[in-house]
Amino acid sequence: MPIIVNLDVMMARRKLSLNELSEKVDITLSNLSILKTGKAKAIRFSTLEAICKALDCQPGDILEYREKS
Amino acid sequence: MEIKISTRQVLRILYILSWILFIGLCVEAGSFFFNAFYTTVINPAAADYFGLTDLYAHDQGRFLVQLLLMSIAGVLKALLFFLIVKILMDKKLNVAQPFNKEMWHFLRNLSWLALGIGLFSSWGAAYRDWLLQEGVPMPDAERLHIDGASVWIFMGVTFIVIAQLFKRGIEIQSENELTI
Repeated sequence: MPIIVNLDVMMARRKLSLNELSEKVDITLSNLSILKTGKAKAIRFSTLEAICKALDCQPGDILEYREKS
Repeated sequence: MEIKISTRQVLRILYILSWILFIGLCVEAGSFFFNAFYTTVINPAAADYFGLTDLYAHDQGRFLVQLLLMSIAGVLKALLFFLIVKILMDKKLNVAQPFNKEMWHFLRNLSWLALGIGLFSSWGAAYRDWLLQEGVPMPDAERLHIDGASVWIFMGVTFIVIAQLFKRGIEIQSENELTI
């Protein structure tokens, strides 16, 4: 999929572990892992809002569009 | 007093019924092959079992073609019930989450088998009609176990539609599960 999830990059910048983010955003670890590994097919606005709030960033910092090479 | 029948009980009854029908259809399919062998090799009088004595006397080849069409339809019927027995035996029929790949494969196979039964029964019946026109006295399609071809074809087409709906259902479920 040409949409890349840069959640791991933002987590590293904010020095947050998956467990900590999971607690802050109130999403299960397995769901967060699906999102982080790029296996997710869609993301709810509410989830995106919670992640942006927890990581103090913009949706564009987490999601990126890259054309298929 | 109200009697409540749970899904589990219904499935249990279906399982037992499917086994009985499967064994019956295996015996039926076997009887076609056995009759063909016994009539041609040992005793020609055995052709009377399906009322095909006149056809056997008319032409052995045509007798074998008629029995072959009946046998294929019989084997496909047995296979269809084997699929039902197998899915009930493996307990892959998950009523709580019916949209799974096993159900889709099951329905797809069921549809092709039903279509196959319909087509071979139809060919068998058409062959019987043609022989009748040729002046060979033939028993009715019911005695030859090739009746109801249109019902089988209708069932096959219906199952194809249901299988396609299941396929879409699985895709929607997968999408839903992967929405965070």
